[in-house]
Amino acid sequence: MAKKQKIAAVGKDTNMETAYRIERFLAAEARTLDEERYDDWLAMLDESIVYKMPIPMNTYRRNRPGKSSIRETMIYDESFEKLKQRAAREDTGMVWLNDPATHHIRTITNIESFCTDDASVYDVRSKFTLLRSRRDKDHVSHTGLRKDLIQDTNDGLKIVARTVFLPERVIVDKNLNMFF
Amino acid sequence: MGHDSQIPEAGDFLRTYMGEDDVIVVRGEDGEVRAFLNACSHRGNKVCHAEWGKTKAFTCSYHGWAYDNMGELAAVPLEEAIYDNLDRSKLGLVPVARVQNYKGMIFGTFAEEGPDLEEYLGDMKYYLDVVLDASPEGMELIGTPFRVEIRGNWKLPVENAIGDGYHVAWAHAGAMRVVGTIGQGRGESVLGIGKDNTGFDDSGQMQVAIPPHTVLSTLDGQSGYALYDNPGPCIEYLEQVRPSVVERLGDVRGTQLLGSETHMGVFPNLQIIQGLNLLRVIHPKGPGSFEVATYSMADKNTPDEVKDIIVKHVGQTFGSAGILEGDDGDFTEAITHSPNGYATRQMKGWLGMAQGRTMDWDGPGDASPGIVNELCQREFYTQWQRTMLAESVSDILPEQSAQKESANG
Repeated sequence: MAKKQKIAAVGKDTNMETAYRIERFLAAEARTLDEERYDDWLAMLDESIVYKMPIPMNTYRRNRPGKSSIRETMIYDESFEKLKQRAAREDTGMVWLNDPATHHIRTITNIESFCTDDASVYDVRSKFTLLRSRRDKDHVSHTGLRKDLIQDTNDGLKIVARTVFLPERVIVDKNLNMFF
Repeated sequence: MGHDSQIPEAGDFLRTYMGEDDVIVVRGEDGEVRAFLNACSHRGNKVCHAEWGKTKAFTCSYHGWAYDNMGELAAVPLEEAIYDNLDRSKLGLVPVARVQNYKGMIFGTFAEEGPDLEEYLGDMKYYLDVVLDASPEGMELIGTPFRVEIRGNWKLPVENAIGDGYHVAWAHAGAMRVVGTIGQGRGESVLGIGKDNTGFDDSGQMQVAIPPHTVLSTLDGQSGYALYDNPGPCIEYLEQVRPSVVERLGDVRGTQLLGSETHMGVFPNLQIIQGLNLLRVIHPKGPGSFEVATYSMADKNTPDEVKDIIVKHVGQTFGSAGILEGDDGDFTEAITHSPNGYATRQMKGWLGMAQGRTMDWDGPGDASPGIVNELCQREFYTQWQRTMLAESVSDILPEQSAQKESANG
Protein backbone atom coordinates (compact mmCIF):
# COMPACT_ATOMS: atom_id res chain seq x y z
CA MET A 1 0.00 0.00 0.00
CA ALA A 2 1.14 3.45 -0.80
CA LYS A 3 2.38 5.47 2.12
CA LYS A 4 -0.17 8.01 3.26
CA GLN A 5 0.83 11.39 1.77
CA LYS A 6 0.72 14.47 3.93
CA ILE A 7 -0.89 17.26 1.97
CA ALA A 8 -0.70 20.89 3.02
CA ALA A 9 -4.07 21.46 4.60
CA VAL A 10 -6.26 24.43 3.82
CA GLY A 11 -9.35 22.72 5.20
CA LYS A 12 -11.39 19.62 4.76
CA ASP A 13 -12.24 18.79 1.16
CA THR A 14 -15.78 19.58 0.12
CA ASN A 15 -17.85 16.65 -1.05
CA MET A 16 -17.46 15.61 -4.67
CA GLU A 17 -20.71 17.09 -5.85
CA THR A 18 -19.85 20.49 -4.42
CA ALA A 19 -16.34 20.30 -5.86
CA TYR A 20 -17.84 19.54 -9.25
CA ARG A 21 -20.33 22.42 -9.03
CA ILE A 22 -17.50 24.79 -8.10
CA GLU A 23 -15.36 23.65 -11.03
CA ARG A 24 -18.28 24.15 -13.41
CA PHE A 25 -18.96 27.56 -11.85
CA LEU A 26 -15.37 28.77 -12.31
CA ALA A 27 -15.29 27.51 -15.90
CA ALA A 28 -18.57 29.29 -16.62
CA GLU A 29 -17.23 32.44 -14.99
CA ALA A 30 -14.14 32.36 -17.20
CA ARG A 31 -16.25 31.85 -20.31
CA THR A 32 -18.62 34.67 -19.33
CA LEU A 33 -15.66 37.05 -19.07
CA ASP A 34 -14.07 35.77 -22.30
CA GLU A 35 -17.38 36.55 -24.01
CA GLU A 36 -17.45 40.08 -22.52
CA ARG A 37 -20.78 39.42 -20.79
CA TYR A 38 -20.05 41.70 -17.86
CA ASP A 39 -23.58 41.98 -16.47
CA ASP A 40 -23.78 38.20 -16.31
CA TRP A 41 -20.40 38.15 -14.60
CA LEU A 42 -21.44 40.73 -12.01
CA ALA A 43 -24.42 38.49 -11.21
CA MET A 44 -21.95 35.77 -10.18
CA LEU A 45 -20.51 38.02 -7.48
CA ASP A 46 -21.86 38.71 -4.04
CA GLU A 47 -22.46 42.44 -3.62
CA SER A 48 -20.22 42.47 -0.56
CA ILE A 49 -17.31 41.14 -2.63
CA VAL A 50 -13.76 42.17 -1.73
CA TYR A 51 -11.57 41.85 -4.84
CA LYS A 52 -7.84 42.34 -4.40
CA MET A 53 -4.56 41.96 -6.22
CA PRO A 54 -1.48 42.91 -4.18
CA ILE A 55 1.85 43.94 -5.67
CA PRO A 56 4.41 41.16 -5.08
CA MET A 57 6.91 42.24 -2.43
CA ASN A 58 10.45 41.72 -3.66
CA THR A 59 12.12 42.19 -0.31
CA TYR A 60 14.62 39.99 1.50
CA ARG A 61 12.99 37.19 3.46
CA ARG A 62 14.50 38.55 6.68
CA ASN A 63 13.04 42.00 6.08
CA ARG A 64 9.80 43.03 7.68
CA PRO A 65 8.07 46.33 7.06
CA GLY A 66 9.58 48.88 9.44
CA LYS A 67 8.77 52.52 9.98
CA SER A 68 9.25 53.42 6.35
CA SER A 69 6.23 54.65 4.37
CA ILE A 70 6.74 51.77 1.95
CA ARG A 71 4.05 49.18 2.50
CA GLU A 72 1.91 46.72 0.64
CA THR A 73 0.02 48.29 -2.23
CA MET A 74 -2.88 46.86 -4.19
CA ILE A 75 -3.16 46.76 -7.96
CA TYR A 76 -6.82 45.89 -7.47
CA ASP A 77 -8.66 46.84 -4.27
CA GLU A 78 -12.23 46.85 -5.40
CA SER A 79 -15.73 46.78 -4.03
CA PHE A 80 -18.72 45.59 -6.07
CA GLU A 81 -19.40 49.20 -7.09
CA LYS A 82 -15.86 49.63 -8.43
CA LEU A 83 -16.04 46.38 -10.38
CA LYS A 84 -19.35 47.57 -11.81
CA GLN A 85 -17.65 50.81 -12.81
CA ARG A 86 -14.86 48.94 -14.60
CA ALA A 87 -17.43 46.80 -16.38
CA ALA A 88 -19.41 49.89 -17.35
CA ARG A 89 -16.28 51.40 -18.90
CA GLU A 90 -15.85 48.34 -21.10
CA ASP A 91 -19.46 48.74 -22.21
CA THR A 92 -19.24 52.44 -23.14
CA GLY A 93 -18.00 51.56 -26.61
CA MET A 94 -15.39 54.29 -26.09
CA VAL A 95 -12.41 52.21 -25.03
CA TRP A 96 -10.55 52.59 -28.31
CA LEU A 97 -7.98 49.97 -27.35
CA ASN A 98 -10.71 47.34 -27.46
CA ASP A 99 -12.12 48.14 -30.88
CA PRO A 100 -11.35 45.99 -32.84
CA ALA A 101 -12.02 43.71 -29.92
CA THR A 102 -9.33 42.45 -27.60
CA HIS A 103 -9.61 38.69 -27.23
CA HIS A 104 -9.23 37.12 -23.82
CA ILE A 105 -8.85 33.41 -23.19
CA ARG A 106 -8.88 32.30 -19.58
CA THR A 107 -7.73 28.84 -18.57
CA ILE A 108 -8.62 27.92 -14.99
CA THR A 109 -6.96 24.89 -13.48
CA ASN A 110 -5.71 23.23 -10.24
CA ILE A 111 -9.09 23.93 -8.67
CA GLU A 112 -9.24 22.82 -5.01
CA SER A 113 -12.37 23.24 -2.93
CA PHE A 114 -12.25 23.22 0.86
CA CYS A 115 -14.81 23.59 3.63
CA THR A 116 -14.70 26.55 6.02
CA ASP A 117 -16.22 27.17 9.44
CA ASP A 118 -19.31 28.44 7.65
CA ALA A 119 -21.00 25.44 6.02
CA SER A 120 -22.26 27.57 3.13
CA VAL A 121 -18.86 29.09 2.30
CA TYR A 122 -16.04 27.30 0.48
CA ASP A 123 -12.38 28.23 0.31
CA VAL A 124 -11.45 27.67 -3.33
CA ARG A 125 -7.94 27.81 -4.74
CA SER A 126 -7.21 27.89 -8.45
CA LYS A 127 -4.52 28.79 -10.95
CA PHE A 128 -5.08 30.65 -14.17
CA THR A 129 -3.53 31.67 -17.43
CA LEU A 130 -5.07 34.71 -19.04
CA LEU A 131 -4.07 35.24 -22.65
CA ARG A 132 -5.02 38.57 -24.13
CA SER A 133 -4.54 39.17 -27.78
CA ARG A 134 -5.35 42.11 -29.98
CA ARG A 135 -4.59 43.34 -33.48
CA ASP A 136 -1.66 41.74 -35.34
CA LYS A 137 0.81 40.63 -32.71
CA ASP A 138 -0.12 42.26 -29.42
CA HIS A 139 -0.26 39.09 -27.29
CA VAL A 140 0.46 38.86 -23.59
CA SER A 141 -0.07 35.93 -21.27
CA HIS A 142 -0.46 36.34 -17.51
CA THR A 143 -0.26 33.40 -15.13
CA GLY A 144 -1.16 33.50 -11.47
CA LEU A 145 -3.25 32.06 -8.70
CA ARG A 146 -6.46 32.94 -6.94
CA LYS A 147 -7.89 32.41 -3.48
CA ASP A 148 -11.66 32.68 -3.53
CA LEU A 149 -14.38 32.46 -0.94
CA ILE A 150 -17.47 31.15 -2.68
CA GLN A 151 -20.87 31.04 -1.03
CA ASP A 152 -23.76 28.69 -1.70
CA THR A 153 -26.89 30.83 -1.87
CA ASN A 154 -30.51 30.30 -2.91
CA ASP A 155 -29.46 32.06 -6.10
CA GLY A 156 -26.58 29.68 -6.83
CA LEU A 157 -22.87 30.08 -6.10
CA LYS A 158 -21.54 33.62 -5.56
CA ILE A 159 -17.99 34.88 -5.15
CA VAL A 160 -17.68 36.64 -1.81
CA ALA A 161 -13.94 37.35 -1.87
CA ARG A 162 -11.16 36.99 -4.41
CA THR A 163 -7.47 37.62 -3.94
CA VAL A 164 -5.44 37.36 -7.13
CA PHE A 165 -1.71 36.84 -6.93
CA LEU A 166 0.07 37.75 -10.13
CA PRO A 167 3.79 37.13 -9.66
CA GLU A 168 4.96 39.92 -11.99
CA ARG A 169 6.67 42.76 -10.15
CA VAL A 170 7.03 44.87 -13.27
CA ILE A 171 3.96 44.44 -15.43
CA VAL A 172 5.14 44.02 -19.00
CA ASP A 173 1.85 44.92 -20.58
CA LYS A 174 0.11 48.18 -21.41
CA ASN A 175 -2.38 47.60 -18.64
CA LEU A 176 -4.16 45.04 -16.56
CA ASN A 177 -7.62 46.28 -17.51
CA MET A 178 -9.06 42.78 -17.42
CA PHE A 179 -10.85 40.74 -14.82
CA PHE A 180 -8.86 37.88 -13.30
CA MET B 1 15.56 58.81 -6.71
CA GLY B 2 13.27 58.68 -3.74
CA HIS B 3 11.89 60.46 -0.72
CA ASP B 4 13.01 60.71 2.91
CA SER B 5 9.74 59.12 4.06
CA GLN B 6 10.75 55.88 2.34
CA ILE B 7 14.03 55.52 4.21
CA PRO B 8 13.60 57.25 7.59
CA GLU B 9 16.01 55.12 9.66
CA ALA B 10 19.65 54.10 9.47
CA GLY B 11 20.00 51.09 7.21
CA ASP B 12 16.77 51.74 5.28
CA PHE B 13 17.35 51.42 1.57
CA LEU B 14 15.53 51.31 -1.74
CA ARG B 15 16.58 50.51 -5.26
CA THR B 16 15.82 52.63 -8.27
CA TYR B 17 17.24 53.50 -11.66
CA MET B 18 19.11 56.48 -13.09
CA GLY B 19 18.70 55.92 -16.78
CA GLU B 20 19.50 52.23 -17.09
CA ASP B 21 21.90 52.23 -14.16
CA ASP B 22 20.67 50.23 -11.19
CA VAL B 23 21.11 52.39 -8.09
CA ILE B 24 20.84 51.75 -4.33
CA VAL B 25 19.71 54.70 -2.20
CA VAL B 26 20.52 54.07 1.45
CA ARG B 27 20.55 55.88 4.78
CA GLY B 28 23.84 54.95 6.39
CA GLU B 29 24.52 54.24 10.07
CA ASP B 30 25.52 57.91 10.33
CA GLY B 31 22.08 59.04 9.13
CA GLU B 32 23.32 60.39 5.81
CA VAL B 33 21.57 59.42 2.57
CA ARG B 34 23.92 58.17 -0.15
CA ALA B 35 23.44 56.46 -3.47
CA PHE B 36 25.63 53.85 -5.17
CA LEU B 37 25.74 51.85 -8.34
CA ASN B 38 24.35 48.42 -7.60
CA ALA B 39 27.49 46.65 -8.79
CA CYS B 40 30.18 44.80 -6.88
CA SER B 41 33.69 46.31 -7.24
CA HIS B 42 35.06 42.81 -7.87
CA ARG B 43 33.13 41.54 -10.90
CA GLY B 44 30.12 43.82 -11.23
CA ASN B 45 27.41 41.48 -9.99
CA LYS B 46 24.52 43.21 -8.23
CA VAL B 47 25.04 43.49 -4.49
CA CYS B 48 21.33 43.89 -3.80
CA HIS B 49 18.35 42.19 -5.40
CA ALA B 50 15.69 43.37 -2.95
CA GLU B 51 13.59 46.33 -3.97
CA TRP B 52 13.69 47.93 -0.53
CA GLY B 53 14.37 47.02 3.07
CA LYS B 54 16.68 47.59 6.00
CA THR B 55 20.21 46.26 6.22
CA LYS B 56 23.64 46.76 7.73
CA ALA B 57 25.36 45.24 4.72
CA PHE B 58 24.99 44.59 1.02
CA THR B 59 26.59 41.25 0.24
CA CYS B 60 27.41 40.17 -3.29
CA SER B 61 25.91 36.78 -4.07
CA TYR B 62 28.90 35.78 -6.28
CA HIS B 63 31.94 35.71 -3.95
CA GLY B 64 30.51 37.22 -0.80
CA TRP B 65 32.13 40.65 -0.80
CA ALA B 66 30.20 42.70 1.74
CA TYR B 67 29.69 46.47 1.81
CA ASP B 68 28.37 48.40 4.78
CA ASN B 69 25.41 50.73 4.44
CA MET B 70 27.76 53.67 3.88
CA GLY B 71 29.22 51.96 0.82
CA GLU B 72 32.58 50.88 2.27
CA LEU B 73 33.90 47.43 1.43
CA ALA B 74 33.71 45.87 4.90
CA ALA B 75 34.58 42.24 4.36
CA VAL B 76 36.15 40.01 1.70
CA PRO B 77 36.02 36.24 2.25
CA LEU B 78 39.49 34.65 2.71
CA GLU B 79 40.99 38.12 2.33
CA GLU B 80 44.26 37.50 4.18
CA ALA B 81 44.88 34.11 2.63
CA ILE B 82 44.32 35.00 -1.02
CA TYR B 83 45.11 38.69 -1.46
CA ASP B 84 48.43 40.45 -0.98
CA ASN B 85 47.46 43.74 -2.51
CA LEU B 86 43.81 44.40 -1.82
CA ASP B 87 43.06 47.86 -0.46
CA ARG B 88 39.48 47.68 0.77
CA SER B 89 39.34 51.45 1.27
CA LYS B 90 39.57 51.90 -2.51
CA LEU B 91 37.03 49.28 -3.41
CA GLY B 92 33.83 50.64 -1.94
CA LEU B 93 30.63 50.83 -3.97
CA VAL B 94 30.78 53.48 -6.70
CA PRO B 95 28.89 56.52 -5.39
CA VAL B 96 26.46 58.62 -7.42
CA ALA B 97 28.47 61.82 -7.81
CA ARG B 98 25.99 64.16 -6.15
CA VAL B 99 22.97 63.32 -4.02
CA GLN B 100 20.93 66.31 -2.91
CA ASN B 101 17.66 66.77 -1.11
CA TYR B 102 14.92 69.31 -1.66
CA LYS B 103 12.31 69.24 1.13
CA GLY B 104 12.43 65.47 1.40
CA MET B 105 12.82 64.65 -2.30
CA ILE B 106 16.11 62.92 -3.00
CA PHE B 107 17.75 63.68 -6.35
CA GLY B 108 20.98 62.37 -7.80
CA THR B 109 23.28 63.14 -10.70
CA PHE B 110 26.32 61.41 -12.15
CA ALA B 111 27.71 64.83 -13.09
CA GLU B 112 30.53 65.99 -10.83
CA GLU B 113 30.00 69.54 -12.04
CA GLY B 114 27.10 71.61 -13.27
CA PRO B 115 24.21 73.26 -11.47
CA ASP B 116 23.33 72.27 -7.91
CA LEU B 117 19.86 70.92 -7.25
CA GLU B 118 18.43 74.21 -5.98
CA GLU B 119 19.80 76.09 -8.95
CA TYR B 120 18.52 73.42 -11.30
CA LEU B 121 15.02 73.54 -9.80
CA GLY B 122 15.06 77.34 -9.82
CA ASP B 123 11.60 78.91 -9.82
CA MET B 124 10.05 75.46 -10.00
CA LYS B 125 10.48 75.40 -6.22
CA TYR B 126 7.66 77.95 -6.01
CA TYR B 127 5.29 75.32 -7.42
CA LEU B 128 6.82 72.24 -5.82
CA ASP B 129 6.34 73.80 -2.42
CA VAL B 130 2.56 73.56 -2.82
CA VAL B 131 3.04 69.81 -2.49
CA LEU B 132 6.30 69.58 -0.52
CA ASP B 133 5.87 72.43 1.92
CA ALA B 134 2.14 72.89 2.50
CA SER B 135 2.73 71.95 6.14
CA PRO B 136 5.84 71.85 8.35
CA GLU B 137 5.80 68.03 8.13
CA GLY B 138 5.73 68.02 4.35
CA MET B 139 4.81 65.33 1.86
CA GLU B 140 5.27 61.57 1.99
CA LEU B 141 5.14 58.83 -0.61
CA ILE B 142 2.79 56.01 0.33
CA GLY B 143 3.20 52.35 -0.48
CA THR B 144 5.16 50.41 -3.04
CA PRO B 145 5.16 51.91 -6.53
CA PHE B 146 3.18 50.48 -9.39
CA ARG B 147 5.67 49.47 -12.07
CA VAL B 148 4.80 48.91 -15.70
CA GLU B 149 7.10 48.48 -18.67
CA ILE B 150 5.89 49.67 -22.04
CA ARG B 151 7.44 49.36 -25.47
CA GLY B 152 7.59 53.02 -26.25
CA ASN B 153 9.95 55.97 -26.10
CA TRP B 154 10.35 57.44 -22.61
CA LYS B 155 9.69 61.01 -23.72
CA LEU B 156 6.10 60.26 -24.76
CA PRO B 157 4.67 59.39 -21.33
CA VAL B 158 6.50 62.38 -19.85
CA GLU B 159 5.05 65.01 -22.16
CA ASN B 160 1.69 63.27 -22.08
CA ALA B 161 1.52 63.61 -18.29
CA ILE B 162 2.94 67.11 -17.97
CA GLY B 163 1.11 68.81 -20.79
CA ASP B 164 -1.43 66.93 -22.84
CA GLY B 165 -4.71 68.30 -21.56
CA TYR B 166 -6.13 67.77 -25.04
CA HIS B 167 -6.27 63.97 -24.98
CA VAL B 168 -8.00 63.54 -21.64
CA ALA B 169 -11.63 63.67 -22.72
CA TRP B 170 -11.10 61.69 -25.92
CA ALA B 171 -8.37 59.11 -25.28
CA HIS B 172 -9.87 58.31 -21.89
CA ALA B 173 -13.50 58.75 -23.00
CA GLY B 174 -14.58 55.33 -21.74
CA ALA B 175 -13.12 55.90 -18.28
CA MET B 176 -14.23 59.54 -18.12
CA ARG B 177 -17.82 58.42 -18.65
CA VAL B 178 -17.79 56.25 -15.55
CA VAL B 179 -15.52 57.94 -12.97
CA GLY B 180 -15.75 61.02 -10.85
CA THR B 181 -17.65 64.13 -11.71
CA ILE B 182 -19.10 63.03 -15.04
CA GLY B 183 -19.58 59.40 -14.10
CA GLN B 184 -21.57 60.40 -11.04
CA GLY B 185 -23.55 62.99 -12.96
CA ARG B 186 -22.15 65.78 -10.80
CA GLY B 187 -21.10 68.03 -13.66
CA GLU B 188 -21.40 68.61 -17.36
CA SER B 189 -17.83 69.63 -17.78
CA VAL B 190 -14.62 68.53 -16.17
CA LEU B 191 -11.13 69.92 -16.55
CA GLY B 192 -12.37 72.49 -19.02
CA ILE B 193 -13.90 70.06 -21.47
CA GLY B 194 -17.57 69.25 -21.91
CA LYS B 195 -19.12 65.86 -21.36
CA ASP B 196 -19.12 64.81 -25.00
CA ASN B 197 -15.69 66.19 -25.74
CA THR B 198 -17.44 69.31 -26.91
CA GLY B 199 -17.23 72.81 -25.59
CA PHE B 200 -14.08 74.27 -24.23
CA ASP B 201 -13.37 76.75 -21.52
CA ASP B 202 -9.84 77.95 -21.00
CA SER B 203 -10.66 80.61 -18.49
CA GLY B 204 -8.93 80.23 -15.17
CA GLN B 205 -6.57 77.51 -16.33
CA MET B 206 -3.02 77.63 -17.53
CA GLN B 207 0.16 76.02 -18.65
CA VAL B 208 3.38 77.67 -17.47
CA ALA B 209 6.92 77.36 -18.74
CA ILE B 210 9.52 77.65 -16.01
CA PRO B 211 12.36 76.40 -18.20
CA PRO B 212 13.52 73.68 -18.03
CA HIS B 213 10.41 72.71 -16.05
CA THR B 214 6.67 73.05 -16.62
CA VAL B 215 3.39 73.32 -14.75
CA LEU B 216 -0.19 72.82 -15.86
CA SER B 217 -2.95 73.86 -13.47
CA THR B 218 -6.70 74.39 -13.38
CA LEU B 219 -6.28 77.19 -10.82
CA ASP B 220 -9.73 76.67 -9.29
CA GLY B 221 -8.48 75.18 -6.02
CA GLN B 222 -10.64 72.03 -6.10
CA SER B 223 -10.81 70.24 -9.43
CA GLY B 224 -7.87 68.02 -8.53
CA TYR B 225 -10.55 65.84 -7.05
CA ALA B 226 -12.80 65.88 -10.13
CA LEU B 227 -12.02 62.27 -11.00
CA TYR B 228 -12.71 60.97 -7.49
CA ASP B 229 -15.97 59.13 -6.93
CA ASN B 230 -15.91 60.09 -3.28
CA PRO B 231 -14.12 63.44 -3.05
CA GLY B 232 -16.05 64.67 0.02
CA PRO B 233 -13.53 63.82 2.77
CA CYS B 234 -10.62 65.01 0.57
CA ILE B 235 -12.20 68.38 -0.14
CA GLU B 236 -13.27 68.76 3.48
CA TYR B 237 -9.66 68.23 4.57
CA LEU B 238 -8.41 70.51 1.81
CA GLU B 239 -10.63 73.38 2.97
CA GLN B 240 -9.68 72.71 6.57
CA VAL B 241 -5.97 73.21 5.84
CA ARG B 242 -6.36 75.94 3.22
CA PRO B 243 -6.15 78.90 5.66
CA SER B 244 -2.85 77.63 7.07
CA VAL B 245 -1.48 77.04 3.57
CA VAL B 246 -2.49 80.56 2.52
CA GLU B 247 -0.64 81.85 5.55
CA ARG B 248 2.37 79.68 4.76
CA LEU B 249 2.63 80.06 1.00
CA GLY B 250 0.57 83.14 0.19
CA ASP B 251 -2.71 83.73 -1.54
CA VAL B 252 -1.82 82.67 -5.08
CA ARG B 253 -0.55 79.27 -4.08
CA GLY B 254 -2.99 78.76 -1.21
CA THR B 255 -6.15 79.56 -3.12
CA GLN B 256 -5.35 79.00 -6.81
CA LEU B 257 -2.87 76.14 -6.84
CA LEU B 258 -3.67 74.12 -3.71
CA GLY B 259 -6.34 71.56 -4.62
CA SER B 260 -6.28 72.31 -8.33
CA GLU B 261 -5.42 69.62 -10.84
CA THR B 262 -1.78 70.59 -11.11
CA HIS B 263 0.81 68.67 -13.11
CA MET B 264 4.40 69.59 -12.34
CA GLY B 265 7.04 68.37 -14.73
CA VAL B 266 10.58 68.39 -13.37
CA PHE B 267 12.83 67.84 -16.36
CA PRO B 268 13.58 65.22 -17.46
CA ASN B 269 11.51 62.41 -16.03
CA LEU B 270 9.70 63.35 -12.80
CA GLN B 271 6.02 64.24 -12.66
CA ILE B 272 4.29 65.38 -9.50
CA ILE B 273 0.55 65.50 -9.97
CA GLN B 274 -1.46 67.21 -7.28
CA GLY B 275 -5.13 66.33 -7.07
CA LEU B 276 -4.70 62.86 -8.48
CA ASN B 277 -1.98 62.86 -5.81
CA LEU B 278 0.52 60.73 -7.60
CA LEU B 279 4.18 60.98 -8.33
CA ARG B 280 5.66 59.26 -11.35
CA VAL B 281 9.16 58.64 -12.58
CA ILE B 282 9.74 57.44 -16.13
CA HIS B 283 12.85 55.27 -16.45
CA PRO B 284 14.17 54.91 -20.02
CA LYS B 285 15.06 51.33 -20.99
CA GLY B 286 16.75 51.94 -24.31
CA PRO B 287 15.17 53.88 -27.18
CA GLY B 288 12.11 51.64 -27.51
CA SER B 289 11.10 50.89 -23.96
CA PHE B 290 10.49 52.56 -20.61
CA GLU B 291 9.31 51.76 -17.13
CA VAL B 292 6.74 53.87 -15.29
CA ALA B 293 6.96 53.93 -11.50
CA THR B 294 3.85 55.46 -9.92
CA TYR B 295 3.57 56.34 -6.21
CA SER B 296 0.70 57.71 -4.16
CA MET B 297 1.55 60.88 -2.25
CA ALA B 298 -0.04 62.99 0.46
CA ASP B 299 0.87 65.55 3.03
CA LYS B 300 2.04 63.66 6.14
CA ASN B 301 -0.68 65.26 8.25
CA THR B 302 -3.46 63.96 6.04
CA PRO B 303 -5.90 61.85 8.09
CA ASP B 304 -5.63 58.09 7.42
CA GLU B 305 -9.18 58.01 6.09
CA VAL B 306 -8.26 60.54 3.37
CA LYS B 307 -4.95 58.81 2.63
CA ASP B 308 -6.85 55.56 2.06
CA ILE B 309 -9.15 57.28 -0.44
CA ILE B 310 -6.13 58.73 -2.23
CA VAL B 311 -4.21 55.45 -2.37
CA LYS B 312 -7.24 53.57 -3.70
CA HIS B 313 -7.94 56.30 -6.22
CA VAL B 314 -4.38 56.25 -7.55
CA GLY B 315 -4.62 52.48 -7.99
CA GLN B 316 -7.98 52.65 -9.70
CA THR B 317 -7.04 55.43 -12.10
CA PHE B 318 -3.29 55.32 -12.76
CA GLY B 319 -2.02 52.10 -11.16
CA SER B 320 -1.00 49.02 -13.15
CA ALA B 321 -4.70 48.27 -13.64
CA GLY B 322 -5.79 51.91 -13.62
CA ILE B 323 -8.73 52.54 -15.88
CA LEU B 324 -7.14 55.69 -17.30
CA GLU B 325 -3.51 54.60 -17.30
CA GLY B 326 -4.23 51.71 -19.63
CA ASP B 327 -5.31 53.90 -22.51
CA ASP B 328 -2.07 55.86 -22.81
CA GLY B 329 0.32 52.97 -23.40
CA ASP B 330 -1.42 52.14 -26.64
CA PHE B 331 -0.67 55.30 -28.57
CA THR B 332 2.71 55.66 -26.87
CA GLU B 333 3.64 52.32 -28.41
CA ALA B 334 2.22 53.22 -31.83
CA ILE B 335 3.88 56.65 -31.99
CA THR B 336 7.21 55.03 -31.15
CA HIS B 337 7.03 52.27 -33.71
CA SER B 338 5.12 53.84 -36.63
CA PRO B 339 8.34 55.55 -37.79
CA ASN B 340 9.99 52.16 -38.26
CA GLY B 341 8.69 52.61 -41.81
CA TYR B 342 10.91 54.84 -43.94
CA ALA B 343 8.13 56.96 -45.42
CA THR B 344 6.36 57.42 -42.09
CA ARG B 345 9.68 58.47 -40.61
CA GLN B 346 9.76 61.48 -42.94
CA MET B 347 6.66 62.93 -41.29
CA LYS B 348 6.86 65.74 -38.78
CA GLY B 349 4.54 65.81 -35.81
CA TRP B 350 2.92 69.07 -34.85
CA LEU B 351 2.72 70.74 -31.45
CA GLY B 352 1.55 74.21 -32.39
CA MET B 353 -1.45 74.61 -30.15
CA ALA B 354 -1.85 77.96 -28.38
CA GLN B 355 1.54 79.12 -29.60
CA GLY B 356 1.88 82.82 -28.85
CA ARG B 357 -1.14 82.97 -26.54
CA THR B 358 -0.12 84.53 -23.26
CA MET B 359 -1.85 85.48 -20.04
CA ASP B 360 -1.09 87.40 -16.89
CA TRP B 361 -0.08 85.21 -14.00
CA ASP B 362 1.15 86.24 -10.59
CA GLY B 363 3.56 83.34 -10.14
CA PRO B 364 6.94 82.80 -11.83
CA GLY B 365 7.25 81.64 -15.43
CA ASP B 366 5.55 82.45 -18.72
CA ALA B 367 1.90 81.44 -18.66
CA SER B 368 -0.46 80.59 -21.47
CA PRO B 369 -4.22 80.15 -21.01
CA GLY B 370 -5.95 76.77 -20.85
CA ILE B 371 -4.77 73.31 -19.91
CA VAL B 372 -5.70 72.22 -23.42
CA ASN B 373 -2.52 73.75 -24.73
CA GLU B 374 0.80 72.42 -25.96
CA LEU B 375 3.13 74.86 -24.25
CA CYS B 376 4.45 72.34 -21.72
CA GLN B 377 5.11 69.75 -24.41
CA ARG B 378 7.01 72.30 -26.56
CA GLU B 379 9.06 73.32 -23.55
CA PHE B 380 9.88 69.71 -22.78
CA TYR B 381 11.18 68.97 -26.28
CA THR B 382 13.01 72.30 -26.40
CA GLN B 383 14.82 71.40 -23.20
CA TRP B 384 15.52 67.88 -24.45
CA GLN B 385 17.12 69.33 -27.57
CA ARG B 386 19.06 71.87 -25.52
CA THR B 387 20.36 69.08 -23.30
CA MET B 388 21.37 66.85 -26.19
CA LEU B 389 23.17 69.70 -27.95
CA ALA B 390 24.86 71.03 -24.81
CA GLU B 391 28.64 70.88 -24.90
CA SER B 392 28.91 70.62 -21.13
CA VAL B 393 26.65 70.20 -18.12
CA SER B 394 26.99 73.93 -17.52
CA ASP B 395 25.02 74.53 -20.72
CA ILE B 396 21.92 72.47 -19.96
CA LEU B 397 20.01 75.26 -18.28
CA PRO B 398 18.38 77.89 -20.49
CA GLU B 399 19.53 81.50 -20.24
CA GLN B 400 17.83 83.05 -17.24
CA SER B 401 15.06 85.33 -18.41
CA ALA B 402 14.36 88.36 -16.27
CA GLN B 403 12.73 87.21 -13.05
CA LYS B 404 9.11 88.16 -12.91
CA GLU B 405 7.88 89.86 -9.82
CA SER B 406 5.54 87.62 -7.92
CA ALA B 407 2.83 89.29 -5.95
CA ASN B 408 2.68 86.80 -3.13
CA GLY B 409 6.19 85.58 -2.61
